Amino acid sequence: MDSIARRRAAAFVCQSCTRRSLRIRRQPQRGFSSAASQQTKPNIYDVVCVGGGPAGLSLLTALRANPVTSHLRIALVEAQDLSKLRSWKPPPDRFSNRCSSLTPASALYLDKIGAWRHLDLSRVQPYQEMQVWDGVSDARIEFDWVGSAPSAGATIAYMTENLNLTSGLLKRLDELGGVSIFDGAKVEDISFGEQTEEFNLSEWPVVHLGGGKQLFARLLVGADGANSPVRSFAGIEARGWDYDRHGVVATLELEGEGWGGDQTKIAYQRFLPTGPVAMLPLPGNYSTLVWSTTPRNAALLKSLSTKDFVALVNAAFRLTPTDLEFMHTQSSGQTDEVAWRLEHSEFDRSRIPQAVTNVQEGTIASFPLKMRHADTYIGERVALVGDAAHTIHPLAGQGLNQGQGDVQSLAKAIEYAVAHGQDLGTTMSLESYVSERYAANHVLLGVCDKLNKLYSVGSGPLVPLRSLGLNAVNAFGPLKSFFMSQAAGSGSKLF
Amino acid sequence: MRSSLRLARPLLRRARLTHTSLRPTATLTTQSTLHSSQPFSTTPHRSSSVNPSEVSHFNALASTWWDPHGSSRILHLMNPLRHDFILSCLSSAPSSPPYPHRYLDIGCGGGIFTESAARLPTTASVTGIDPTPNILAVAKAHASKDPTLTGDRLRYLSATVETLPEEEKGQYDVVTCFEVVEHVDHPAEFLDVCGSFVRPGGWLVLSTIARTWTSWVTTNLVAEDILGVVPKGTHDWNKYINEEELRGHFSGRVGWGAPRVMGVVYVPGLGWKVVPGSEKVGNYFFAVQKVGGV
Ligand SMILES: Cc1cc2nc3c(=O)[nH]c(=O)nc-3n(C[C@H](O)[C@H](O)[C@H](O)COP(=O)(O)OP(=O)(O)OC[C@H]3O[C@@H](n4cnc5c(N)ncnc54)[C@H](O)[C@@H]3O)c2cc1C
Repeated sequence: MDSIARRRAAAFVCQSCTRRSLRIRRQPQRGFSSAASQQTKPNIYDVVCVGGGPAGLSLLTALRANPVTSHLRIALVEAQDLSKLRSWKPPPDRFSNRCSSLTPASALYLDKIGAWRHLDLSRVQPYQEMQVWDGVSDARIEFDWVGSAPSAGATIAYMTENLNLTSGLLKRLDELGGVSIFDGAKVEDISFGEQTEEFNLSEWPVVHLGGGKQLFARLLVGADGANSPVRSFAGIEARGWDYDRHGVVATLELEGEGWGGDQTKIAYQRFLPTGPVAMLPLPGNYSTLVWSTTPRNAALLKSLSTKDFVALVNAAFRLTPTDLEFMHTQSSGQTDEVAWRLEHSEFDRSRIPQAVTNVQEGTIASFPLKMRHADTYIGERVALVGDAAHTIHPLAGQGLNQGQGDVQSLAKAIEYAVAHGQDLGTTMSLESYVSERYAANHVLLGVCDKLNKLYSVGSGPLVPLRSLGLNAVNAFGPLKSFFMSQAAGSGSKLF
Repeated sequence: MRSSLRLARPLLRRARLTHTSLRPTATLTTQSTLHSSQPFSTTPHRSSSVNPSEVSHFNALASTWWDPHGSSRILHLMNPLRHDFILSCLSSAPSSPPYPHRYLDIGCGGGIFTESAARLPTTASVTGIDPTPNILAVAKAHASKDPTLTGDRLRYLSATVETLPEEEKGQYDVVTCFEVVEHVDHPAEFLDVCGSFVRPGGWLVLSTIARTWTSWVTTNLVAEDILGVVPKGTHDWNKYINEEELRGHFSGRVGWGAPRVMGVVYVPGLGWKVVPGSEKVGNYFFAVQKVGGV
């Protein structure tokens, strides 16, 4: 017995001693007055998540809500001050310009991890119909559930302000507790640990924050958006291209609740040669605009008076691409131009959105659009989720939903690893996440990219062909229902 | 007590060479204690007077154990099933020992199972034993990459079941012995010694490979004679043990409950699958509970 006891003593040194020696080695010049507290509170975490956007918050909530993974030591690093998100309580008639459509699959998952009920549901707008058409040929694809769907009037997706989602997630995370949150904290550097007498942390990422704080990560999760510093640290290349397009967003006020009233809300999207323009329903008379267009057009749109901006948005759903092109050359006066032209045009009013009457102050903004896909989502002790792994064209409203799919899969991989005693940071533990998500995301990125290219051509041989495509899809029930179920995230795991 | 792993070493020594090239498909016989070579007097990785060729040998050895795409991948893939099987045993009997558990892993090799058992929140401690010092050095070096595997949670001993102290007997809730018995000269005695470390109510859990025409064809004829990927003599097919033989062994001893068995098949591209009845043909898990638990 004696010899074993001695062996044990020789081979293993108490954790806090070791950790102290770690800190001393890494920070030789820093005299620390709080040495004792640092000694008892070493910064070794099972999961360090950089980025508290929809993907990061959802992942941590999923891990905390699951009894198998709730004992893990978890840290969140977010550059922004989260107290603003905690106190987010906008007036009922003001809506943020950053909205996303959450698929029922995403909503279900958010419900499963206990976050959905923390959203302000009075600000969430389900929609049941989609009107999508080609701005050049006017060919339509009508996305509604009739005939092929589980039930008529079923929800296609939920329009949600991103802030409503993230504040709901943060409330749930606060309720669950147990996460070390470092907010208002930018990642200054990521390095590797060191090999000491007792431990070899040379493969462990160490996240350096301002003030010399260091977080050792068994698994470093990059949920840090399209310009992911974690991805750069891991040396994972993200390939793709810029679309030379900007997404112009705004919160719109309409003449009414929509043609279907409160019960049947409709999403509209028209493909213009410069890119798709979409109007998605919010509660009451409000809608959110996502207009992808050239950087020049975007700059013009942002410079217009409210009245002219409203006129041009109405025109985008009604007038010909040639008229629109002309009106983008004027620095003002669109209101009169549009009014005059609309008088001389005929529309099937039920097929286009109700007229926009106003735009909420300060909500017009634009973002450059790009397509990026990381070469892989994992490395030893690194995993990427959400926009850090892939950035998609917003035309299908899938970016955020893809991130939720990633989170679901990664959380499952982590759960499996923990339940079977695997080191959750190793590629062995993470590989099921890549194999589950990579191909699915890639297909979707490709489809949206090609759709965008197909519809970015104003004339020429492609136009009649693509009209045929949309009409054919419209006529062909089973294919359409496949598209529909994909859009709603309820179909096979493509999205 | 002459049934030890040590007696099996001449065979194991030959087998050492094969670990990197052996990629079984239908059956698994790669084994932790297969590695053996000149004993190291000190652990190689921390000594300052390390011979470079020893280091590279050590690194090669380490990577055969822990490279996720290396020759031990098949063992890594099997590891979760070991836990599933143990869990199914523990939960099958109310007299199983309460959490947290003490494990003894016999023939722990590079520590694939040993580490994973030590990481479970339901584990109190794990002792991994293996007679081959440089394999243990690999196991220890790998464990040092995880700072939670400290203190009582995980210890490695260079030992055989015979050299473990008397005091350890009857102390363990779960005694595991994965892919070992097929390499042992006197399995009956070996199993008796292994069983002596199990506490009342605890479980002796092992995995091995059946001696059948299928296993003979895949591991002896195909791998050794036809493909030549494995040196001849790696597998002594006569040492393979059938499930009925294990059953017979334990039913002939007092103090053990009815065995639990799980047959598994490796499907390339899909990994290990539990296939009821396959214990008659290839790889299988086997467990018995020592009577008289809580
Ligand atoms: C115009 C437009 C419209 C869109 N519409 C939709 C839609 O309808 N439906 C949909 O599903 N998706 C839509 N998207 C995409 C969606 O907004 C994104 O996919 C989603 O926000 C990505 O979430 P994320 O958590 O991965 O990353 P982000 O939301 O980018 O979050 C990253 C977080 O990381 C933090 N961070 C970054 N770097 C650091 C650092 N160094 N240190 C600390 N913290 C850091 C940031 O502060 C941020 O909080 C749209 C995108 C655009 C541009």
